[in-house]
Amino acid sequence: MSQNFRRDLNREFDAISGSPSPALSARVRAALAENRPARTGPFWMAGLAAGLIAAIVVGVLVVASFNRHQTGVLPAGAPTPSASPSSVTHSPSPTQTPADNLPAFVCAGPVSLAGTSSPTVAFVDAVRTGTHPGYDRVTIEFNNGEPANVDMSPHDGTTFTQGASGQQVTLQGSTGLLVIIHGSDEHTAYTGSTDIKTGYSMLLELRQVEDFEGTVQWGLGLSKSACYRAFYLTNPARLVIDIQNS
Amino acid sequence: MMSAVMEQRPSAMQRATEGDADSFAMLIDPLLNPAYRLAAVMLSDRMAAEDAVQEASVKAWRNLRQLRGDESSLRAWFLSIVANECRMTRRRRWWSVVKSADVESNRRTDAPSQEAVTDLRRAVARLSPDERLPLVLYFYLDLPLDEVARTLHVSRSAAKSRIYRAARRLRSDLTLEEVS
Repeated sequence: MSQNFRRDLNREFDAISGSPSPALSARVRAALAENRPARTGPFWMAGLAAGLIAAIVVGVLVVASFNRHQTGVLPAGAPTPSASPSSVTHSPSPTQTPADNLPAFVCAGPVSLAGTSSPTVAFVDAVRTGTHPGYDRVTIEFNNGEPANVDMSPHDGTTFTQGASGQQVTLQGSTGLLVIIHGSDEHTAYTGSTDIKTGYSMLLELRQVEDFEGTVQWGLGLSKSACYRAFYLTNPARLVIDIQNS
Repeated sequence: MMSAVMEQRPSAMQRATEGDADSFAMLIDPLLNPAYRLAAVMLSDRMAAEDAVQEASVKAWRNLRQLRGDESSLRAWFLSIVANECRMTRRRRWWSVVKSADVESNRRTDAPSQEAVTDLRRAVARLSPDERLPLVLYFYLDLPLDEVARTLHVSRSAAKSRIYRAARRLRSDLTLEEVS
């Protein structure tokens, strides 16, 4: 061939590449001097160090993930929640949450929340649910501030009486939780479902059972009795109810 | 004389592995010219080729402990780092933008002399950088087939096949026996 082919090809390659600048060698030497690799110890030391770093990283990620769940994982696009539990009164709690800024879970008795700087009527504009390691969550969002008061209490069975009509409705599950929001309405800004079936392990269904004369009530159907907690998040104002699922 | 050189080289390698920059610079100095030519052909840009060689040198220096074998393996190992650096250079977004503009500009500038461009030159220009690579290694840098294979991280027969396929795009009547 092949000699001609090689000669012609190399001529083309020569035309493309030319010669390196005379300074290339000095340039590389200078770059090497500036980028001296760190001296390393035996490989077992490198392996040990890598293992320690990996353990630290995993630990940080686990803690960060856990804290993120505790402070409220809401649907994408929701602002980062800032917990501001306000005026919570409840029965003694056997379970303390790891996050210091969240109230403890309550396993019996009622829970009350008082809003801060509440408008006359706080308008519900969204109701969301989510399930997380350790708890199922209901988030009720208000578009103009926290309602004046919220009362929650365990409910025998899952049959609730609707506030305006007096009709009874039965939710999925074996026991319930009643949420009464005073100073609120759910027909001005809310267009979502008033009967939500979740399919979660603990929180099975929630249904609006009253929206009348400034009072909103939701009934929650649970698979069994469970500890719960409630608190407010701000920007926007949200009532968060967590029900332990494990 | 030869035995003195052979005794000196392993010790330079040893010193380089232990962190002696001068020893490493001495080892790769003879490789800079072929590395540059490889990069220049892959990138079609002389300044970028020098940048790639410099960057590849630093990467090789940092990863010298990963080199398997002795100094005889250094050339193939280093050239493979250079080739990787060229690929990374081409992947960078600005590269495609700038080079596209350059190509258009060159076409306009060189338009009157197009007739002087040979068929081979046009064919080479049509090759992708990864098609040029085995041709550069084998024909231009005159590496033995085994070393081409090590640089490409493929078997000897696969290297031969790549050379043949790329060369066939330049000369259609090429036979496999001519690539040996």
